[in-house]
Amino acid sequence: MLALVLCVLIYRAHTAAADDGLARAHARGTLRWGADIQGGEPYAFQDPHDRTRIIGFEVDIADALARRLGLRAEFVQNDWLTLVPSLERGDFDVILNGLEVTPARRARIAFTRPYYRFTETLVVRGDAPAVHGLTDLHGQRVGTLGGSLAFDLLKDTPGIEAVLYEGVEEPYIDLEEGRLAAVLLDNIIATRYGLTRPALRMAGTVGEGAYAIGVRRDEPDLLRAVDLALAGMIDDGELRTILTRWQLWDERQSTLGAALTLGTEPVGGAHLTLTHIALFLRATGFTVVISTLAMALAVAGGLLLSIARRSGGRCARAAVATYIEVFRGTPVLLQLYVLYYGLASVLRLSAFTAAVAGLGLNYAAYEAELYRAGIEAIPVGQTEAALSLGMSHALTLRRIVLPQAFRVALPGIANDFIALLKDSSLVSVITVVELTKQMTITAVDVRGWLIPGVLCATLYLALSYPLSRLARRLEQRLTPATA
Amino acid sequence: MNDGTVVSVQALHTRLGGTDVLRGVDFSVERGQVLAIVGPSGSGKTTLLRALNYLTPFTGGEVAIAGYRLRPGMSERRDATLLRTIRRRVGMVFQSFHLFPHMTAAGNVMEAPRHVLGLDPAHARARAAALLERVGLASHADVHPHTLSGGQQQRVAIARALAMEPDVLLLDEPTSALDPRLVGEVLAVVADLAAGGQTMIIVTHEITFARRVAHHVVVLAEGSIAERGTPAEVLDRPRTAATRALLGMP
Repeated sequence: MLALVLCVLIYRAHTAAADDGLARAHARGTLRWGADIQGGEPYAFQDPHDRTRIIGFEVDIADALARRLGLRAEFVQNDWLTLVPSLERGDFDVILNGLEVTPARRARIAFTRPYYRFTETLVVRGDAPAVHGLTDLHGQRVGTLGGSLAFDLLKDTPGIEAVLYEGVEEPYIDLEEGRLAAVLLDNIIATRYGLTRPALRMAGTVGEGAYAIGVRRDEPDLLRAVDLALAGMIDDGELRTILTRWQLWDERQSTLGAALTLGTEPVGGAHLTLTHIALFLRATGFTVVISTLAMALAVAGGLLLSIARRSGGRCARAAVATYIEVFRGTPVLLQLYVLYYGLASVLRLSAFTAAVAGLGLNYAAYEAELYRAGIEAIPVGQTEAALSLGMSHALTLRRIVLPQAFRVALPGIANDFIALLKDSSLVSVITVVELTKQMTITAVDVRGWLIPGVLCATLYLALSYPLSRLARRLEQRLTPATA
Repeated sequence: MNDGTVVSVQALHTRLGGTDVLRGVDFSVERGQVLAIVGPSGSGKTTLLRALNYLTPFTGGEVAIAGYRLRPGMSERRDATLLRTIRRRVGMVFQSFHLFPHMTAAGNVMEAPRHVLGLDPAHARARAAALLERVGLASHADVHPHTLSGGQQQRVAIARALAMEPDVLLLDEPTSALDPRLVGEVLAVVADLAAGGQTMIIVTHEITFARRVAHHVVVLAEGSIAERGTPAEVLDRPRTAATRALLGMP
């Protein structure tokens, strides 16, 4: 099965590698550009007045470029972190989405000349002691976006713990709540999402960079055509008009005219190192610890829920039923968001606590249902026999019904543990670096998804396979006892 | 109720699902006596027996048992303490055993002494061992119920009920679920208990056994007592058509 997947991956990588990208775009009549609308205003985002429309300065740039090439611009939504591999797969022709030119990216894809120059802006709380640069943040947590230039800067500064986010609002929320000491992001994001919050202030700028349009390396004709079209936009002032309209024009942008420089760059030099492996093992540890604690919480919580439903009054029963429906009927991802960001003003949980609590509370609903099924599977004669011995209802539940119900539920619990192990990858949205997140980080580092992906899958299998063996054995052991 | 009466039932009436299952039943059982309740299927025998420890609530009349009184309309929740107290004094053996499958034979027997009476483990274990010995299963103390035959399981169930040293033991068709060749070993245990002076009420289809062991026999038909008396009176010289039909007499 794995071999088949690998074959398909390799085959697709090769078919995408054709050198007639411009010709194909013309045959199609569209320039397909990839971006993530989650990046928010002003890049490419949903029009608040008409949710079916995508607007933004990059939408305007894409439209102008396409027009100059005699094409129509076609937007393709793609998660920001995977824009590069998706481009390589051939999901779209170019990337146009705040993609910073970095050595690691230049090793994989080609870039046009820049269409925007930015600075990395350090934002702190208004009441924070004097912070002027990254060196003042030794030993502190600093938030940024995964895969960004800012993340590379933080990674290369010893003593700083980089905390990764996937959206632009969340790091500033956490900064306000005191979960972070600072946030380092491009000035566009800092101005619009950070400095609009009264409690936050700018501490300074740390380096600068540029956004450019990414094109597959083996399509020089398309690269040249797009780059020349962009040069035309810079020369005749159309780019300035667009940037001005979005309030993005500043003095830095006057240097944009510089021609495309294809410097010498390291190609394919990145390999999986021992450091990566060590980070993978650490992330595996996080996955195991979070899953185990969450499952313990779920098993205990589910038990309380099922007891409350069986022995509680009308209100308790209604509350339990509501809890189960709400937690089973909504995505865990949403619950994690609400728990960590939504309740941040009243309940300041650490990311780790929120991860364990979020997963545990969600799975408790499932465990409660397993116990209910288990309790219902116990014949009423068992309860009658216990009562006829003078046992109380509580004692009957504890000594006679629950131990048997637990055995019935045990294979299901083991299966849920396997599911939880995999669902734990969702906690990366609240900044916890577990196994899957480590995989995406490493993939950016080593400029390839295949090896980190296989390593990640192997580690998950190493965790879940013993569990599934255990679940099967428990099921078999249960069969003769009930017969 | 005088000192010698352990169970006294007056005008017992039970309505279940719109049907009058019991229509005014009276009887009493003296200490050390064995009462056999016989009758065709659906005559209300099991309902009557389960009314005595209130596993099935009754709708009219009164039950005095082991020094306590049961009345219609009691609730498991509201009257939990009284019901628990009564059930400690009244043992019950079910047609299909209802042993606790997750415990060993000894575990089943010592469960209530240990957790209801609060005996220490060693004491409870000794009591279980003595009772398993008495029902002929001393060598099976540490096995789980599913490895035992039906007859052995029912003997464990009897030991379990006896472990609470009940004032009266209720047996609900204890041999009806058994393979015929296993009936004898269970009846032998019950006969032994009777000989030892254990007060018992036994619902049974085993007429021969009732004749041999019971001091009194009650014939139940359509929720009422059709006939009562000693086994010799009722089973040898039946006066009513119901009893004669039950005994297969013309």
